[in-house]
Amino acid sequence: MNQPRLKVPLVLLVALVLHTAVMGHLRLAGVAPDLMVLIPIVGGLTSGPERGAALGFFCGLAVDLVVQTTPLGLSALAFSIIGYTVGVLEAGILRSSWWIPPATALFASAAGEALYAVSGALVGQTQLVTDRLATIVVVVGVLNAVFALPMLRIVRWSMRDGSAANARYV
Amino acid sequence: MYRRSNRRRFVFVLLLLTSITLITLDMRGSSSGAIGSLRRGAHDVFAPIQSAADKVIAPVGDFFGGLTRYGHVKSENQRLKARIADLQAHGLVESDAQRQLRELTQLEQLTFAGDLKSIVARVVSTSPSNFQVTVELDKGTAAGIAKGMPVVSGAGLVGRVVEVSKERATVLLITDGESHVGVRFSESGDTGVANGAGARTPIQVGFVNAGTKVTTGEVVTTSGLQDAIFPPGVPVGKVRSAKPAADKLALDVTIEPVVDLSHLEFLKVLTWLPPAGP
Repeated sequence: MNQPRLKVPLVLLVALVLHTAVMGHLRLAGVAPDLMVLIPIVGGLTSGPERGAALGFFCGLAVDLVVQTTPLGLSALAFSIIGYTVGVLEAGILRSSWWIPPATALFASAAGEALYAVSGALVGQTQLVTDRLATIVVVVGVLNAVFALPMLRIVRWSMRDGSAANARYV
Repeated sequence: MYRRSNRRRFVFVLLLLTSITLITLDMRGSSSGAIGSLRRGAHDVFAPIQSAADKVIAPVGDFFGGLTRYGHVKSENQRLKARIADLQAHGLVESDAQRQLRELTQLEQLTFAGDLKSIVARVVSTSPSNFQVTVELDKGTAAGIAKGMPVVSGAGLVGRVVEVSKERATVLLITDGESHVGVRFSESGDTGVANGAGARTPIQVGFVNAGTKVTTGEVVTTSGLQDAIFPPGVPVGKVRSAKPAADKLALDVTIEPVVDLSHLEFLKVLTWLPPAGP
């Protein structure tokens, strides 16, 4: 089992199961971590903007289909933008360091949640932008930063096809 | 180099356009359209995986949940120990099966549902979403549940069905920001609209006349006015606070749900649908 085309869907399915079955219990100030936005972030870090955007699209689509009742494609839109942006910014980083993935997860997860809410409001889902948005953005950022390093290893493993492994952030 | 960069941009733009197309199709189409079918299919495919995973992972989730809510769990533990001691003293301790039986009996003896037919269902999961307050039921269209049906517990209104597949139904709770319930104050008979503001946040009641007499603790029920999406007379909440709005033309009223929405197990879906518009 050395093919990303087999490993990536498996990782997405397991992440979705964990997201729906476990993460709801792991709340801080009533806010749960968002594993599904973390995957495109670490995907963008390890594999570049193209794969970051693709991971974001499929993670978002899975969330839209199974978890959210907001319009289908809303999470896919927000998560693809985040995955792509992280990949583009990563290309400008000259030195790798252990703290870069958690720091990126913190800021990019916060941006992902805010982007989802604001995009939703733009298409009429105004209930997504509430007084609680600031709390959600901060807490998701912090909790996702905690999960960043293990998730990075998992996503790197799923993306590795044995030919062009990225040696960064291992 | 340029070719690679162009390919990246092409893939990105393609994904964005696909997402925007899906959003547009979903917002324009009805729930019975292709997007609705896709959603229902995904729910039915994922339901057995999620049920199996819940059974295996639930203790892990409870463990982590306990860690993040340590202070709350500790004080809750102390409170429950005191309660058990009190109940033991009175010979009133009930087993889990007895508690479930009591909940089901309460559901069978609803005083506010009149002769409306209903379907009893069990809550199988709560949403991990930070933006929506929903729960999932273990029954769907196969049991006769349809989108828009009200959902109640033994104490009162819980929410309404917003998504339904063959085996599952998603219920939007009355505390969700998208929930708007027409309500009537039990003492004055005046009406208002109860708007959810998110989990753990009191429900705000809008459009209440400044002259309305509102008492703390007063029960608020569904109004059942024309075009209402809930049948009349179902308890929604108890008044927590009431004060004049900044413009003095209305009252700012907040209510607490009569149902403990953080501990839902058995619920009843009323097979009542809002009357079709003209």
